[in-house]
Amino acid sequence: MSDLSAPVALTGHLALLSSISFGGIPSVLPDIRHYVVEAHGWLSDRDFANFFAIAQALPGPNMILMMTLIGWKVGGVPTAVASALATFGPPCTMYYVAYRLWDRFRDAPWQRIVRAGLVPVTIGLIIGGGTVVARAAATNWRSAAVSAAAAAVMLRPRTNPLWLLIAAGALGGLGLLSR
Amino acid sequence: MEMPVDVAGPERASLLALFGEFLKVSLCSVGGGGGIVWARRVVVERRGWMNDRDFADVLSLCQFMPGPNVVGITVCVGSRLRGPKGALAGVAGFTVIPLAISFSLGTWYLANTDIAALQGVLGGVSAAAAGLMIATGLRLLLPWRQHPSALALAALAFAGLVFTSLPLLAVLLVLAPLGVGVAVLAGGRRR
Repeated sequence: MSDLSAPVALTGHLALLSSISFGGIPSVLPDIRHYVVEAHGWLSDRDFANFFAIAQALPGPNMILMMTLIGWKVGGVPTAVASALATFGPPCTMYYVAYRLWDRFRDAPWQRIVRAGLVPVTIGLIIGGGTVVARAAATNWRSAAVSAAAAAVMLRPRTNPLWLLIAAGALGGLGLLSR
Repeated sequence: MEMPVDVAGPERASLLALFGEFLKVSLCSVGGGGGIVWARRVVVERRGWMNDRDFADVLSLCQFMPGPNVVGITVCVGSRLRGPKGALAGVAGFTVIPLAISFSLGTWYLANTDIAALQGVLGGVSAAAAGLMIATGLRLLLPWRQHPSALALAALAFAGLVFTSLPLLAVLLVLAPLGVGVAVLAGGRRR
């Protein structure tokens, strides 16, 4: 690979976007798509959608995987590795520093107040996020029933969710959830 | 079930255990948002490294920070238990092997197979994963069930995400100050 400008530009851009992706990488996906599809033409829209689907379906950190695949498309395996590092390296450093600070003041009165104010919001967002995904996945009553059943079973303590995912994947793969 | 936080501090975990458990969390997280489900299962239920309250703390911190949130959980849990080395061990477990496996599978799949065949499986997995996420959120809400204002905040956040088309960040920016304001008024009576 003689021309390094594309890999370097991509990696730098990913490092920047991951550092401002408040709420998670999906919040900057539109910007990433604009950069790699429209501004530079490294990927087609179809590639982008395919990478997204594959990243969702495979195990592991799915957004990092998606950026790894984009890097691979732009500059092969070295760029794939660099893209992965750019996606989780800068945020990891910030998480680490922020948690050290948070933990140092864990008994401070102000922190009890901040916690009482923020944690319920976070929990509401998690339930809401699950509901949004369920709604997107619910193309019909059968998929909606799968979401509801998974939630009901998971409410029991110490449930292993793996077999639920496998069963649902099998139902979908056999075409039992479509139409 | 709800223990005071600072009794004895978290049990010490070996670096290998952190690597291995977050490797498992990562390999089991399929279909978006699943990481939270598995991280809670390992950290709270199986290993007892944190209680639900501390885990919810970590979740909020990560939610308010940029980046892949579940990696953030890994950093926080690892650093709480074993400092910087623990954070590195957790993140290495979470990323290296799963990315190598999924990257190989993904590039192979792209080269050899029709992507449409994947859509059915993906649809089923996402539907179930969404249900798991809802249930995990409800379980995290349990310790707050005696606090009407906390339940109201959770309901507002839920509604903001589900019934408006506002981006997550906008919902956060409105509700975070509101939540802290409510907590100040409540005088930090709770816990």
